[in-house]
Amino acid sequence: MDAFSTNLTTSKKQGILRRNLKITLLVALGLIAAFDIFTAYARAVFQIQDRTSIPLHSLGFQFIGLENVFKDIHTVGYYTNKDLKQPLAVAQFEQAQYMLVPTVLDLNHTQWRWDIFDCTSPQIALEAIKRLGLVPMKAHNGIILAYNPKGIE
Amino acid sequence: MTYWIGIIISLAAGFLVIRRMAARLDPVLQFFLALGLGLGIDGTCAFYVHILFNQFNRFIPVGLVLASAVVLFFIKPFSMPRFKLTKQHAWGLLGLIVLAVPLAVSAHYYPLGGWDAWSCWNLKAKFIFLGHENWKDMLSPQFWRSNTQYPLLWPLINVWFWDLSGRFDQAVPMLNSVVIALLTAGVLLLGLMELTGQLAAGLLAVAVIMALPIDITLYTSQYSDSLLGLYLLSAFLCLLLSEKCKEPKLKILSLIFLGLMSFAKDEGMVASVIAALLIFWHQRKDKKNLKAFITAFCLAALPTLLFKLFFAPKNEAFVNGLLSAQKPTTWPRLETIAVYPWFEFISAKWAGFWLLAAGGILLAGKKLWCQALGVIGLTLILYLGVVLAYYAVNTYFEIVWWLSTTLSRILFALLPTIVLWIAAGLKDA
Repeated sequence: MDAFSTNLTTSKKQGILRRNLKITLLVALGLIAAFDIFTAYARAVFQIQDRTSIPLHSLGFQFIGLENVFKDIHTVGYYTNKDLKQPLAVAQFEQAQYMLVPTVLDLNHTQWRWDIFDCTSPQIALEAIKRLGLVPMKAHNGIILAYNPKGIE
Repeated sequence: MTYWIGIIISLAAGFLVIRRMAARLDPVLQFFLALGLGLGIDGTCAFYVHILFNQFNRFIPVGLVLASAVVLFFIKPFSMPRFKLTKQHAWGLLGLIVLAVPLAVSAHYYPLGGWDAWSCWNLKAKFIFLGHENWKDMLSPQFWRSNTQYPLLWPLINVWFWDLSGRFDQAVPMLNSVVIALLTAGVLLLGLMELTGQLAAGLLAVAVIMALPIDITLYTSQYSDSLLGLYLLSAFLCLLLSEKCKEPKLKILSLIFLGLMSFAKDEGMVASVIAALLIFWHQRKDKKNLKAFITAFCLAALPTLLFKLFFAPKNEAFVNGLLSAQKPTTWPRLETIAVYPWFEFISAKWAGFWLLAAGGILLAGKKLWCQALGVIGLTLILYLGVVLAYYAVNTYFEIVWWLSTTLSRILFALLPTIVLWIAAGLKDA
């Protein structure tokens, strides 16, 4: 067999190998696509049926309504004794901020006319309000809104 | 209802631009590219009106987009594309409907999106829309967690829709997130069909990324990464089609998409500069069109430049580990950065995608590194290199936590482009 026909056979073999590899890749693509679609639909069905878990994004709903109190108010204080290294506490504060935009929440500063108290318990919040000389005005889901008579508008 | 009017206006504005640059492409692909471009035009108009000129009359950004559509309609004789629904289109659209269902369900049960949606992107959108002249409050250092230095395209697109309806509506970012996901799927599918002519393989490739649970979560998280992914894909698809059809105008479109991408996120800015420079280098012999390419990119990226020069505060979450004595870049940090991505690639959440991609890259071989495909490959490598270098230099965050929360998003934005790149390479091989 001369060199020319040897090269031809080698390239033919390579061509067949490449074709087989392409088919294998296509089959793997098909299997993964089928698995992904099945998982996506299974997850969608689970999402529709699941009523037990409380999603992270619902933390901010307890602040709804306060935006009407804070109309035209630029900044209010936000007091918390929660550990802000904990994601849940940060999430609660950031969702409160999202709900109350364009009012700015000043974290752990209470020199403002209105201050939100979000503490580990209402008793702790009321003690802090009393200590700071503020007046509790409204409570909802453990969140207390306090008025600072000497506060900055 | 108003939302869909906004979609129609955006589509019209985008389509009238696309029609002048990509008239030879499949009309359905033109529609998909047009809506992506139209959303970018909405965000850009909202930037010039609300941010640069500090005007808060809601009719001006909407009027600008409408006026530009009207001007574009009358500026040149306009011919409607001859649209013929082929069997391939019908199967493609059916595939998109199948993929849309889990996306829609996820978006419905995730109305506020992910953490960064309410702490960063949509927070900024609300500040701009409701805060009016006080929108700059969101740039103050106390909002450091919101990445105050990030560009504003995604928030401004949502603001444009709220401008149109006259009220804040959480459904807008939620619907936009689904629309962007479906646009990405549509552009990828029709782009693959145009490049390879294979419907079945295209559908499977799109399904592999659009039905991936982590992708569904990230698409419906209302993050800017999905916008970045759409524009990167659109830019490179136009580049490949430009080479295929010998149509330089498609390269202008490609650079417009890259310019828009730079306003989506800081990472988008890095990727767009790398890609644009590589395209300019690739086109260096085409002196006749090079100026037009550079102009198109600069004009589309102008909002990014203006924002970064005049508005963006410094990044509060940055410590230069190369200079800092307190938080230096350590050897274990570098080791983690070198090792972590490999564990990410084989993680179950990607359902074998990266192994498949590696197989495709090996099989396509040298073809992936020639001509326009080479530009895509080099962009991906350089971009990932810059991202990993940033993880090493910025020592503000603990590295394992930072990689675990952000690396998947970086990769997620690249997935559609990687699929396009490999599929086009395999076709050539």
